[in-house]
Amino acid sequence: MSALQTFLLVVDHDKQEAKQIAERIAQDVESKKTSLIDVVQSLGEYINDDDAILRGKAVSYLTAVIRALPPKFLSRQQIQVLTTFFSDRIEDGGAVAGLETLQKLDRFNKALAEEVAQAIFEHFQELQSRSQSQRFQVYTLLNELMINHRAALHDMGDHSLVGIVDLMTGEKDPRNLMLVFSILKVVMMEWDVSNHAEVLFDSVYNYFPITFKPPPNDPYGITAVDLKGRLQDCISANSQFAPHAIPALLDKLDSTSPNVKKDALNALIACVKLYDPNTVSKYSITIWETLKFEILNAQEEFLSDLSLEVLSAIAQRLSEGVTQISDQLPLAQYLRPITKECSEQLQEPQQKQAKPAQLILSSVSAASAASFTLIVQTVVAPLLTIYQGADGIAKQRALLETFGVLFNAAIQVFGEWTTRDPEPTIDNPLLEFKDQFSDIFGQALMGVIKEEGSFRVSALKGFLRLSTLRNYFQDNEIGLFVQYLDEILLKEESVGRDDLKKEAIAALTEISKHKPRLILDITFPAFVATLPDSDDGSGSDYISTLETLAQISAEKDIFDTLVRRLLSKLNILLQKEQPGSVDYPRDILLTILYVMNQRKLDQDPNLDLYYDKIVVSLCRSATAAASGNAPNTILTEATVLDVLGKLCNLIIRSLPRSKQDEVAENVYTLFTPAEDFQPVPFSPSPSDNHRRTMIISTYLLASLPTDSKALPYSTPNMTPLLSDITTRCVAETSPATSLALLRHLALLANKFLPKTDLDQATTLLDTLLPATTLTTDLPFTLPPTTIQTIFWLSKALILRLAPKTTQILTTLLALLSSPDPTTSTTSARAFTILLHDDNVLSVPNGANIRLLSKQRVFTTLIPLMSTRIREVNTATSPQEPTASTTTHIKPAHLTALSGILSTIPPSLVMPELPTLLPLLLQSLDLQSADSTPVRAATLDTLSVIIRDNGVRVIDDCGHVQSLVSRLLSTAEHAPASGAVNTPRLRVGAIKCLFLLAQVPSGSGSDAPAVAKAGTLSPLLSVKNQVLRALLFVLDDPKRDVRKAAVDARAAWLRGVDDAPDENDD
Amino acid sequence: MESAMQNSNPTILNIADLPTRLYPEPSGKSGTRRVGIFASTDSSVADPSNFAVSPYASAESDDDVNLMEEPIDEQEIYDLVSTISDPEHPISLGALAVVSLPDIEITPTLPEVPGSLVRTVTVLITPTITHCSLATVIGLGVRVRLEQSLPPRFRVDVRIKEGTHSTAEEVNKQLADKERVAAALENGTLMGVIAKMLETCQ
Repeated sequence: MSALQTFLLVVDHDKQEAKQIAERIAQDVESKKTSLIDVVQSLGEYINDDDAILRGKAVSYLTAVIRALPPKFLSRQQIQVLTTFFSDRIEDGGAVAGLETLQKLDRFNKALAEEVAQAIFEHFQELQSRSQSQRFQVYTLLNELMINHRAALHDMGDHSLVGIVDLMTGEKDPRNLMLVFSILKVVMMEWDVSNHAEVLFDSVYNYFPITFKPPPNDPYGITAVDLKGRLQDCISANSQFAPHAIPALLDKLDSTSPNVKKDALNALIACVKLYDPNTVSKYSITIWETLKFEILNAQEEFLSDLSLEVLSAIAQRLSEGVTQISDQLPLAQYLRPITKECSEQLQEPQQKQAKPAQLILSSVSAASAASFTLIVQTVVAPLLTIYQGADGIAKQRALLETFGVLFNAAIQVFGEWTTRDPEPTIDNPLLEFKDQFSDIFGQALMGVIKEEGSFRVSALKGFLRLSTLRNYFQDNEIGLFVQYLDEILLKEESVGRDDLKKEAIAALTEISKHKPRLILDITFPAFVATLPDSDDGSGSDYISTLETLAQISAEKDIFDTLVRRLLSKLNILLQKEQPGSVDYPRDILLTILYVMNQRKLDQDPNLDLYYDKIVVSLCRSATAAASGNAPNTILTEATVLDVLGKLCNLIIRSLPRSKQDEVAENVYTLFTPAEDFQPVPFSPSPSDNHRRTMIISTYLLASLPTDSKALPYSTPNMTPLLSDITTRCVAETSPATSLALLRHLALLANKFLPKTDLDQATTLLDTLLPATTLTTDLPFTLPPTTIQTIFWLSKALILRLAPKTTQILTTLLALLSSPDPTTSTTSARAFTILLHDDNVLSVPNGANIRLLSKQRVFTTLIPLMSTRIREVNTATSPQEPTASTTTHIKPAHLTALSGILSTIPPSLVMPELPTLLPLLLQSLDLQSADSTPVRAATLDTLSVIIRDNGVRVIDDCGHVQSLVSRLLSTAEHAPASGAVNTPRLRVGAIKCLFLLAQVPSGSGSDAPAVAKAGTLSPLLSVKNQVLRALLFVLDDPKRDVRKAAVDARAAWLRGVDDAPDENDD
Repeated sequence: MESAMQNSNPTILNIADLPTRLYPEPSGKSGTRRVGIFASTDSSVADPSNFAVSPYASAESDDDVNLMEEPIDEQEIYDLVSTISDPEHPISLGALAVVSLPDIEITPTLPEVPGSLVRTVTVLITPTITHCSLATVIGLGVRVRLEQSLPPRFRVDVRIKEGTHSTAEEVNKQLADKERVAAALENGTLMGVIAKMLETCQ
């Protein structure tokens, strides 16, 4: 059997085998064992067969052989013969693939390409009727010709144009259309289409709008967006389409489907951007006349936005190359009806239609400097006239806002002072009105009745825009504005919500970015002058001044000046015998801290100065105060020391390593020689003031890098230091010093104690615990300070996930079962300490906080707590003699639980929910007054769970009914019954009820919380109960509770329904 | 909104100018005087009770504040109805001045019985134009909102403000007629419109 016959037999079921046969023959041809002529001749008997399938297979054989030949093998003549052969038989299967192979060859030439194209166009009817994949082959061939031999097709002119259009007419397959559109786009852009513009346009426009929806699991991944994009490229490809395209697209705006309108508008934008300006100009007014309805009677906001984009794009195109403004410009003709319409709508600027008019002016005028100029020339003067004659504040205000819109456009066109782009060559047309604007806005801001807050805010915003507009106001004119703002902030009484003052501060902050000099020269002296030398405690006016200064000092120069001025104020205070209230120096430090927090300190050139003036110098002053050698006691106050500590912490963290080592040596000496100040650790009996310096020491310690070598008392090991601090923690009575010592201990154990020495800390922890804890039930009591120390030390170890973490947690839990109620409840409250995010033992301070620590604590504790509570529940039966002594145990566990929950991210809670939910419900059952925080924390946890996951998770645990009843009883205001439900609890409970009826925010799915398809809402059975109970809550004495109840009731009325919506999309 | 709008260009009040309740500053509380921008910078300093294990001593135990009654007043009614959307525009009734604070009144229903807690809320509606056929729908919306949001001891009376509507009497009759209101609320299309209006309520 010949190779051909074998090929014909296998080609249908074994492509691989067929390919190998062809390759073998190709090798024979190559090695001259047989000739190409022989191969062609061997086809003889088949290619004239009546059976089209057989003919196709035979041609495929030849194609397969050619494909297997090396690219340079065929001679020009051979290619020519083969091309003619294939072209003649193009209607046979396999010929198209053969041609595609041939046209890739180097020796394939223009004349051949033309021949192939000719063959395709002649047989378009047969080709059209083929299957999708075969049509795809034809388009691919055409596309390849377009890429490799475009000149040949181009020279065919109208012939190829019509041929291609004929070929693709009726095509429906998205894959083929993608190719067709890209082939057609080339024709549209490069051919002379003048004879056939309409035919060509119609060939693609027939597909508009595209409503294609890809089938699920579409392997080709073609989306409607892809098709829309290519179609749009075709529609906008040639200006000669305009007479057909633009009216057709505008017609589509009559459609009722917003999606069709959207496609039409997008296509319009493309056309406007690509057609030549003369064409755009010709249709500009027609487009405006149609689009204006889309904007003035906006149906959907995105349609209005797209329409505005079309208008703006037209203005941009018509501005191209415009250097001289004249009213003969096409741009001017286009803008004339627009400004006319807008001016009419703006006659009554406070009415609804003024808004779209403002939008139109805004987007068209921002299109270019020329456009902006033409609009300003026609619009501004009449608006000013209306303003002069305006009879009401509402109208004036609306006009100010309209001007504001134009100022914004001006900023887009001409830039702000800080803008670096080159300026437009056209002068800013607003310059002509500069004095008028300055007057109007100045008067509106400062002249009218002071109570018209919102009016003045509008004026302020407009004035601010003009002040930041590049090269508009002179510095002295902006200075005037700055003075107005100062006056508002310093002289005026607060009114209402104080929006005006907030805006004034924001405006000064904005100006400080553009004109820092003006702020330094005008605002700074005015504000600093109002700061008193000392505060006698009578008033705290200085606070708002400090707040303002802090907010406007983000710029480097201003910041530097602020710090210097404030430090000198502070130093004066520190020298006074009678310095007045300590709040004032504290607030000064706080101001510096606030501004430093806002800035990137590590790049600040003045860092060394701050280190000397604040860290070193003020620490010395603090030790002097502690030893009683200072004129006053400001720096012995805990609150002042705390802020100072934070400030030092912030500065030291940005210092270079060498300076940090210097700080490390001075953690306890605080830069003071030994003869003047004795460090607190190992000091026999320091005074209260002396011990309080530990506040600063703790902040210094926190700021140091973990591997600081120079830490005092750390060699050979830290044990003596740790136990000294521990002893001080237990003995300390002043809360602030106590907190500092506890943090100090935690820092040492968490951050600086080497891993190998961890047992020192655990040993220390054991000495604090009573030996009896685990072994016997003997009553043991621990003083609160000891409990506190235990928990802080545990925190330090747990956060770094020390090897004994589980053991430590079990021990802590055992404290709750202490027969002594005080020990038990105090320990319960201390559980918050464990995972609470502390500001000192924190990641920015380099604390060793492992990512899994929270999860570890939670998953260890929850099962243990749950078991213990169940034990207690069953044990409190009448025959148990010790029942009365253990009633505090259950509340203690619930308190501890709420403490842990409040510090755990909700995502960790979810897996444990089935265990956790019964405990939470029991927490809600607590009724005593001191259980309020526990219940509040429980409600917070519940609300997060419900908000993120919806009612489903509660339903899955089977607790909907019991949860709802408890929430309702917590929501009740019933002073008569003795239940203590504070307003906060009532609001919390109602909020949970509200969230139950909402769609959960966490799930991305659109499944409503309430009724999933086919199933009834789990809330339905309690709906009536909830609605009835909430009816009484509507009469709660507290407004916030009533508000929450109104919202919850509305949510249940609206959201909880018998049947799922029929069409929820 | 397919049919032509009744009033396509009403005047709109600025949201900032609408009456709101001004909450008094949390004044006079020692230890919590920081309300300004420094509050976050200053966290946890003055109030170490977060960490202390002594009983939670926070504002929560402030019994005076908790026991102070805040009776339902006109502003509260205004807040309930002013955020309802107009059926024609996506704008609130407050911004369109359809409802306004001076046109809301709470009176004892039975002045002759001094101890009675029953109150009547009267809300007067000002349609944006005098021939607005949607006035009834707006009135109904206000009524539904109040009946859903007020305790049972409140009687709701919604009426068109005198001289602001050409067929005010007719509309008032409809709004006051319990039977007709109930019948209207059975009407699915009408309830759909009202539900849409109430969606924006805050």
